Amino acid sequence: MKIKERKRDGVAILELSGKIMGGEDAGMFDGTLKTLIHEGYRNVVLNLERVSWINSSGLGILISGYSTMKNNGGDLKLLRVPSRIESIFMVSKLHTVFASFDDEEAAVRSFS
Amino acid sequence: MKPRIELKIPSQLVFLGVPDAVLMELAGDLPFERREIDELSTSVIEACTNAMEHGNGLREDQEIEVHFVFGEAEIEVTVFDHGPGFDYGVWKPPADLMQERGRGILIMREFTDELEFARAPDGRFCARLRKRFHPGA
Repeated sequence: MKIKERKRDGVAILELSGKIMGGEDAGMFDGTLKTLIHEGYRNVVLNLERVSWINSSGLGILISGYSTMKNNGGDLKLLRVPSRIESIFMVSKLHTVFASFDDEEAAVRSFS
Repeated sequence: MKPRIELKIPSQLVFLGVPDAVLMELAGDLPFERREIDELSTSVIEACTNAMEHGNGLREDQEIEVHFVFGEAEIEVTVFDHGPGFDYGVWKPPADLMQERGRGILIMREFTDELEFARAPDGRFCARLRKRFHPGA
């Protein structure tokens, strides 16, 4: 997994790419969120458009990240979830936890 | 005789994409909808993740094996590891939606037509997944 980070209107946008599969991905993602919190960013949008696949360990990473942001008074929302990954969220019922958007502006505005 | 492909893969997570690459390479030539291939491949990745982590303990000197058998209207995939296995009969889905682990079998169950776990004659543990072609599904 690779993470590209940028900021828009006080919201951190993380563009993930590659495969989300546990192992080193977990520490990298957790470290990125902790740094953002340290910098004062509480709200995060995860753009999954360039993620080719995710496994159940990868789902765990996203759940952990969601909890981290919630526990720090923020939120973590999803953007442009590929259909292959969306179906995994559906069968695991995690679509009821993560807010999901197709449009970045709408995702950013949803925090205000 | 049905066409088959057999892979030996080191128990390192970085290689989890190899079985996915096999199915994606063949996707256009198989009588499956893309969604069905995606579901099968996601399930195979889960089976391989389990085999590497829980079966072989991510020991780099132990390989998993992945066998694909291509039928006219179905694909069967068997994933072998060297671990102790587990009793699928007592498996239960995660009780807590926010539980960070334990969804692999749930995903495999939902995305395949048949799923079984067994001890192979050579002593290895294996997960066998079968996905059937559903025309117009």
